[in-house]
Amino acid sequence: MKNFSNRYMLLYALGLAAIVALVLTIVSVSLKPLQTRNQQAETKQMILKTIGIEATLEDADKLYSERIEEAKTNAGLPYYNYDNGIIIPLNGNGLWGPIWGYIALGKDLSVVGAVFDHKGETPGLGGEIATDNFAQRFIGKEWIDQPIVLKKNADKGNTHEVDAISGGTMTSNGVTEMLAKAFEEYSELFESWENSQAIAELTKEEQQ
Amino acid sequence: MKNTDLIKLPFSKNNPILVQVLGICSCLAVTAQLKPAVVMALSVTVVVVLANVIISLLRNTIPPRIRIIVQLVVVSTLVVLVDQVLKAYMYDVSKQLSVFVGLIITNCIVMGRLEAFAMVQKPWASFLDGLGNGLGYSVILIVLGFVRELFGSGTLWGYPVLEKLGLYNIGYENNGLMIMPPMALILVGIIIWIHRSRNKELCE
Repeated sequence: MKNFSNRYMLLYALGLAAIVALVLTIVSVSLKPLQTRNQQAETKQMILKTIGIEATLEDADKLYSERIEEAKTNAGLPYYNYDNGIIIPLNGNGLWGPIWGYIALGKDLSVVGAVFDHKGETPGLGGEIATDNFAQRFIGKEWIDQPIVLKKNADKGNTHEVDAISGGTMTSNGVTEMLAKAFEEYSELFESWENSQAIAELTKEEQQ
Repeated sequence: MKNTDLIKLPFSKNNPILVQVLGICSCLAVTAQLKPAVVMALSVTVVVVLANVIISLLRNTIPPRIRIIVQLVVVSTLVVLVDQVLKAYMYDVSKQLSVFVGLIITNCIVMGRLEAFAMVQKPWASFLDGLGNGLGYSVILIVLGFVRELFGSGTLWGYPVLEKLGLYNIGYENNGLMIMPPMALILVGIIIWIHRSRNKELCE
């Protein structure tokens, strides 16, 4: 085996690092636009899913612009209008990292659909929040007066309780907190929404 | 060793999974469905081939005392490249594979080939060795992905095969255990069993 001087080793390591850094930078910069586009399409895909539309990454853009309208509350928080109600974005923390989701509410503020995702929850445990099976538990629950909470052995008849994930208590608590936070932040929007619906009802009755 | 042996042996008598029992972690994690299994197999093959060739080209310049670091840097770079390309062109698959792409860096097959082969062999031989081992790994992954997706979810590459065959109407149900990682371990065990019973010289 050849003997190399310390000086050679140091320069070798530095040179290697410099070359690698250059290659990675070039690739990262040149692929960035494509990756950003994919991420945006994925968000649109999630939002569409809450109202029951299964979009692919390719047609998400088109369907989104047809069905969804972006809006802001008076406080400047983003939400989305669709033909039958509103969609609220959710952001919170799970056990290992951020969790997020979207929840679609109908005219009467009952849940039409929900979708959740996570950065790094444990697959099979907390990671289950990203499954359709979990998201479907929210359908039909009500977003009035109080936020929806996740509970062990939730009462099926209670419209503010959803069954938590067994083995994923910390993540489930994260979801509960995330829902409570959104409920508070968007409370103004819900009130004005309810009022506008009440007015719509009244005018309808008058016309009849 | 003959060049043809470099490709042939890893398929059977020196298979990285069946005989060397390397790369088991990723083989349990990504084979619940066929598509991620195939993408993972391709990614590992690309990484091990390129890493083998690069290290083989550099082998006479690499100071032995920092060789593991140099190998790791080369492998990591290749893996980050693969990850970036997947994110740009196959986003949904890259989401499914998530951390496992990054974990190719720690796949013992890659480091094992570099240390055992590429450090002392010429580039062409290293290329063949990398290809052989990558494909030997791929074969097992694809077999596992095929069996687990077919019996666990009733689909192949996302296409509902069993539903189209009408099996559910006559009372067939998917085997939920198939999509859990332990089942992959059991299947690998069964494959190793069959393999050893046909290659007696491998039995200890």
